[in-house]
Amino acid sequence: MSYADFRLETVAETIPNPFRRVVRFVFEWIPIAIVAGLWELASGTIVSSEILPPPSAVFAVSWELLVSGRLLPHLQVSLYRIGVGLGLSIVVGVALGVGMARVKPIENFFEVFLALIYPVPKAALVPLAILWLGVGTETAILIVFLACLLPIVLNSYNAARNVDRNLIWSARMMGMPAWKLPIKVVVPATIPSILTGIRQAIPIAFIALVSAELIASNRGVGFEILRHGQIGNYTSMFAVLVVISGTAFVAVRGYEWLERRVVTWT
Amino acid sequence: MNRTQTHRQHPSNAESAHETMVDGHVTITELEKVYESGDERTTAIEDFSVTVPSGEFLGVVGPSGCGKSTLLYLVAGFLEQTTGTIAVDSDPIDGPGTDRGVVFQDYALFPWRTVMGNVTYGLEEKGVGKEKRQATAQRFIDMMDLDGFEDKYPKELSGGMKQRVALARTLAYDPKILLMDEPFGALDQPLRESLQDHLIDIWRELEKTVIFITHDVEEAVYLSERVLIMTRHPGTKKTTVNIELDRTQPREELVLSDEYTTTKNDVWQSLREETTPGGEH
Repeated sequence: MSYADFRLETVAETIPNPFRRVVRFVFEWIPIAIVAGLWELASGTIVSSEILPPPSAVFAVSWELLVSGRLLPHLQVSLYRIGVGLGLSIVVGVALGVGMARVKPIENFFEVFLALIYPVPKAALVPLAILWLGVGTETAILIVFLACLLPIVLNSYNAARNVDRNLIWSARMMGMPAWKLPIKVVVPATIPSILTGIRQAIPIAFIALVSAELIASNRGVGFEILRHGQIGNYTSMFAVLVVISGTAFVAVRGYEWLERRVVTWT
Repeated sequence: MNRTQTHRQHPSNAESAHETMVDGHVTITELEKVYESGDERTTAIEDFSVTVPSGEFLGVVGPSGCGKSTLLYLVAGFLEQTTGTIAVDSDPIDGPGTDRGVVFQDYALFPWRTVMGNVTYGLEEKGVGKEKRQATAQRFIDMMDLDGFEDKYPKELSGGMKQRVALARTLAYDPKILLMDEPFGALDQPLRESLQDHLIDIWRELEKTVIFITHDVEEAVYLSERVLIMTRHPGTKKTTVNIELDRTQPREELVLSDEYTTTKNDVWQSLREETTPGGEH
């Protein structure tokens, strides 16, 4: 389902420790190497390199775009939109999820909205968002926010609803008044699920960002894909895609790394 | 754990000790607990009265599903009775209170807090200053042989250690009454025995009133001064059996003594009538 679920633990365990990381790394990238190899061969032979530029060229352009700094302003704008959108969705999503789980009227009020919003592709909301907020950063942030909200709300809602009764009772018997329970017990007990929700939201944030920027922006990486495509510069178009995919990958991996180091008690 | 090697010895003059201590007696009067869900009414506890004097170690045994845990959670104030009263030192209880401390079978430690953080929790809620609460917590951490593990998180500990942390956590805020819900039920035999002996030492030293729920007759007889046997569904008090054993002998001799064997059989017989279909109401 996600990057992290794909692991070759059993193979890795037969290998001496110092080499494990290297071997795991190699194993993980073998499928990509195979596909890239086939792609390289197909480009210019089976398929015209005009419409399927070879990966060697694509990666070279990706590298060039990053090093020359031509893509950086766009990447910066995009990351800013993701940061704000995702950040807002964490704050609102956790509050809403925990609130719904612990307060019946809140649950009754929002449940129907979640059920209705859930199946709607967030990209379908872009035209509406343009109407409200115009073309630009606010629209992209809104779309990222909406798309990320659901996994975070649902994860924290389910976890907060199922907090071990004995944990709550333990706090109560030690003299904690009921009004302190959400902050002192429910939220900490829900943290592992909140973190899972955030991890699920990161790739979703990139999806939402690009779909917003393709339509409603004149900056950002999504806009760059469109611009290169429109002027027929397909190698660059692919190259921007590679950069987006790579950035999202690094974001998830970086997040997981950080999570392991900061939240050591899970 | 050296302390578990010590001979177990209840206070020699247990009766007079109870009378001189004013704090921590529990009076349960005509308790009834009915669970209602939709149209269905299930009576968990019915017509239940008992007085637990200060400092007594009362074991409660009963067939599974007889409402032992419900009884304990009513006394803890987590659940509300349908009728009847529960009083601590003659004051009817109103919800949970720090005069009572529960030890759960599944430990119920806060996973986001270290051992020290768990043990200081109740003291924080009491508003005890940082240095004082660290010192108090350390005392109970040492008492439970947990020194060196102060900074560990619950996930890093074994089941037996988690239960010792849970016990230290409950003892640290000094409740007069310990309510224990099959606390050693999930542990293997040697670990269970060592924690049982540990608990007796602590009970003697700290003079707590203990209500100890278990389905294990041997455990109840070994630990308790008095064992209460509950009937099968709905739970009522069937009878209580006083346990009079020569507590000066070590465990291995005590469990072979005639008094122990006889008492254990009495309790077991009484309980068996409840667990076999013929004993059903």
